[in-house]
Amino acid sequence: MNLYRTMVRVRAFEEHAAECFTKGMLAGNIHLSIGQEAAAAGAFAAIRPEDYFTSTHRGHGHAVARGMDPKLCMAELFGKKTGYCKGKGGSMHIADMKQANHLGANGIVGAGQLISAGSALASKIMGDKSVTVGCFGDSSTNEGSFHESLNMAATWKLPVVWFIENNCYGVSTEIHRVTNTPDLATRAAAYDVPFAVVDGSDATAVYEAMEKALDHARSGKGPYVVEAKVYRYQGHYCGDPAVYRPKEYMENALANDCIEKMGKRLTALGVKDEELEEIKQAAQQEMDEAVKFADESPYPDPAEVTDDMYTADNERCVAR
Amino acid sequence: MSKKISVSKAIREGLLEEMRRDDKMFIMGEDMAVMGNVFAITTGFLDEFGPNRVIDTPISEEGFMGMAVGAAMRGMHPVVELMYDDFVTECADPLLNQAAKLKYMSGGQCSIPLVLRMPMGSGRRNAGQHSQSLEGMICHFPGLKVVAPCSAADAKGLIKSAIRDPDPVVVFEHKLLYARKEEIPEDEDYLVPIGKASVKREGRDLTIITWSREVNFSMEAAEKLAAEGIDVEVLDLRTLVPIDWEAIKASVAKTHNVLIVSEEVKRGSYAGEISAEISEELFDELDAPVERLCGLNIVSPFSPVLEDQNFPHPDDIVKAVKRVLNK
Amino acid sequence: MAFEVLMPQLGLTMEEGTVSQWIKHEGDTVKAGDVILEITTDKLTNEVASEHDGVLLKIVAQEGEDIPVKGLLAYIGQPGEAVGGAPAAAAAPAAPAAEAAPAAAPAAAAPAPAAAANGARIRISPLARKTAAKLGVNYTGIAGTGPSGRIVLKDILAAADSQKSAPAAAAPAAAAAAPAPKAGSLELMEGDTVVKLAGMRKVVSQRMWASHNEIPPVTQNIKVDVTELMKFRKMLLAETGKKYSVNDLVLKATAKCLRQHPEMLVSLDGDQIIQRAHVNLGMAVALDAGLIVPVIRDADKLSLDALSAAAKDLATRAKENKLGADEYKGSTFTVSNLGMFGIETFTPIINQPDAAILGVCAIHDELDMDDEGKLFKKQVMRLSCTLDHRLLDGSVVAKFEMDLRDLLEKPMSILL
Repeated sequence: MNLYRTMVRVRAFEEHAAECFTKGMLAGNIHLSIGQEAAAAGAFAAIRPEDYFTSTHRGHGHAVARGMDPKLCMAELFGKKTGYCKGKGGSMHIADMKQANHLGANGIVGAGQLISAGSALASKIMGDKSVTVGCFGDSSTNEGSFHESLNMAATWKLPVVWFIENNCYGVSTEIHRVTNTPDLATRAAAYDVPFAVVDGSDATAVYEAMEKALDHARSGKGPYVVEAKVYRYQGHYCGDPAVYRPKEYMENALANDCIEKMGKRLTALGVKDEELEEIKQAAQQEMDEAVKFADESPYPDPAEVTDDMYTADNERCVAR
Repeated sequence: MSKKISVSKAIREGLLEEMRRDDKMFIMGEDMAVMGNVFAITTGFLDEFGPNRVIDTPISEEGFMGMAVGAAMRGMHPVVELMYDDFVTECADPLLNQAAKLKYMSGGQCSIPLVLRMPMGSGRRNAGQHSQSLEGMICHFPGLKVVAPCSAADAKGLIKSAIRDPDPVVVFEHKLLYARKEEIPEDEDYLVPIGKASVKREGRDLTIITWSREVNFSMEAAEKLAAEGIDVEVLDLRTLVPIDWEAIKASVAKTHNVLIVSEEVKRGSYAGEISAEISEELFDELDAPVERLCGLNIVSPFSPVLEDQNFPHPDDIVKAVKRVLNK
Repeated sequence: MAFEVLMPQLGLTMEEGTVSQWIKHEGDTVKAGDVILEITTDKLTNEVASEHDGVLLKIVAQEGEDIPVKGLLAYIGQPGEAVGGAPAAAAAPAAPAAEAAPAAAPAAAAPAPAAAANGARIRISPLARKTAAKLGVNYTGIAGTGPSGRIVLKDILAAADSQKSAPAAAAPAAAAAAPAPKAGSLELMEGDTVVKLAGMRKVVSQRMWASHNEIPPVTQNIKVDVTELMKFRKMLLAETGKKYSVNDLVLKATAKCLRQHPEMLVSLDGDQIIQRAHVNLGMAVALDAGLIVPVIRDADKLSLDALSAAAKDLATRAKENKLGADEYKGSTFTVSNLGMFGIETFTPIINQPDAAILGVCAIHDELDMDDEGKLFKKQVMRLSCTLDHRLLDGSVVAKFEMDLRDLLEKPMSILL
């Protein structure tokens, strides 16, 4: 039920964001994770509160699944002062480092691999029991950062889990047109790192694989890589018609819709339709409120534009 | 009390003292642990602090630089060494897109208390990929602080301040300064504040604004010029970001003539930025155009005969000063 | 931003003026056009009017102070507005070096004479320009010692210094390198008295020195039989009742002759020669204090009557110190008449930027012999024409002189 609720909430958030984008209420682009909800829900069900994580440009789902406040997420998308990053980061850079241990979504593909490995290094040096989860997409496994930091993390047995959401497309490019590895997670084997490949539309399967991976990392055995095969319903960004994809992709995607599948399973287990409907209604209402909050929030004061560049001596550093 | 030690020894002392003071600090880079660095800056560190805090990395500049950023976000104080500043292009993204930006982009949620030591500079006959002076490129990126000491005392005092600073600090260390022995204070806690220039020599006729090894060359030039009755002030910036504008202003208001000396490629140099800033803000103080004396707009050459053409020597500085003053 | 009131340029030769009286005082409200002070120059007394509405915020130049052209006199602005705080012209030249001017200091619109005498841009450093404005130094004509001749701070300080100690050398307009002979180098003998070289005498001194040093002069004398001219003058008196002076007739003839000889009407400007379109006759007038040259504009277009009236009017007003600034500007040729003093010939010095000057000498009787060997008396007058040999050659000017002689010898043709 919790997994189902999370998936519904993520989708509601994304659909509300899409609607706001279409109405021109948002600044800049957004990248939606509609279709990939089970991956986020499953993974974050396994991640513990003391654990850290990094995210990507397609990262709203991770934040919502982590239990962060959709109001503050939405406000950040709107570029409002009340957003998680005071409107200085936007959709691709939501972070909540102090409470949710969210080290930030990142606009640079592959950056989260390095940051999550570095966070794990910090955990190792400090000797805490937290694991850092690096969430990233299929295409970033072709970045040098993947190999460089996985190599070091493996060598130094760092407590890091990498969670690959493989939606098969890097913008318009189908992953296997540019990659000679059938399952991306198998690349971990090159560094003697264990891995798992799971159906990303099955939230339970994702949860179980991640639970195992986190245990492995937490016990000091080093990194673990999980690859979840998912579908990205939308194009790369909101409004991208995705004409580069064959129509079979979306047919398969819709046939495997993670929320519908989970709903059927719950019904089979005896959950009433009204209960599921109630969850959906609650999510709609929650996200309506998030939009209202974001819309009514003030923009940042233009005078704040140079704030937060530096922790010490900010004024002099930005003066010249 | 003071003692005479080399610049590399001074850096070593600074690192050692901070390692002992601050258990969040760790050192990572190529050949830093077992070998103790090619300039012997960290010999013995591994024994004292163990492999968790003195880390030999693979040749993966992007990887370890990015991991240092991640660790810094978690409150660690990584001190990273790039063997040559030329390799900064290998780790451009973690330094320039992550370390420099994440504080701002997260709305101030984190600090990145990271130090990147970058040996730099011409004169060691190492050719184009091991001899650059990339101050202009690094100073371009808001979010970084940049220091470039020339003396042993400043090297120690600034590295210690850099480690204690909550922001990412890039330290440019000129390789040909490492062996230079100089007096430094005995003081265990000798700090040189970031953002403070030093008047190395007072003068009336012209201000040379410079940093790193060119400070020493400028001092030599100033002595030669003094013999000819030309009284030059030498301002060692020491910190490039934040620049000590008050010091520049005071000196320019005194001498009204400015020569900026650096080893950089002239085009797009930080020297050019300083020149522009002075021309904009101190126009009415100027009695002559601000001149930059830098390297040529070329790749650093290998052959000594060629390389010597590519960075200012004391005699070049003497000539440039006379050119500005029309003497 | 407060407006600056600057010492006006009231004539080509004016280099400085003396504040004789402030009509308005600090704090007074002024309107554009209101007279705010009186200044005296070497040549005349003039009123300076405000160009702006506002309040006279600060008087910088005090009464009795000599201020160079474009030097700062006062600020006009809105009540309470801060002014540049520029010290008066007499401030120590060391001041700018000592103060660290804040970058944000309001740069009180610098009175930069953007063009040199020849129209080219003056190369001057920003600091030198600012200091010049502050010290009231007119830097037009200063030879810079910076790269490419740029005027730098020390040039301005030197100019300010010499302006104080030896005013004659300050910013010489015509001759850039005019040396200032140091005062006190001559031994005084019993009974000698010393008077400061000042005012009109100083200007005459500078102008003559500059002209003499710059121009390679040639003076060509020609003898004119003015017997007919003198008769003609009498006839005019009898016929019209009007008494024309010889000078009037010479001016009229000269104007007419110049129109026929435009090659005489040129000026040298750096590496270019200006062909003057107008016959503007300068007319040297001797005063007790020196010499002044009012100008009769388009003299060739004036009737003898009008020309005579103009000459008389200018001479009278020159002696009364009532000439307007424009009235001694713009000559293209000058006539200097010493005939009334009995001078037989002389070598007039060219009034720059003219290319020549005509000296008119005394008329006297001479005996001559006609073709039949018969002696007769005639009246003759010499004309002494000095030419700038850089621009004109002897033969060219000789032709002009011969034509002028012919005109004067057949006086009816002057009027025809």
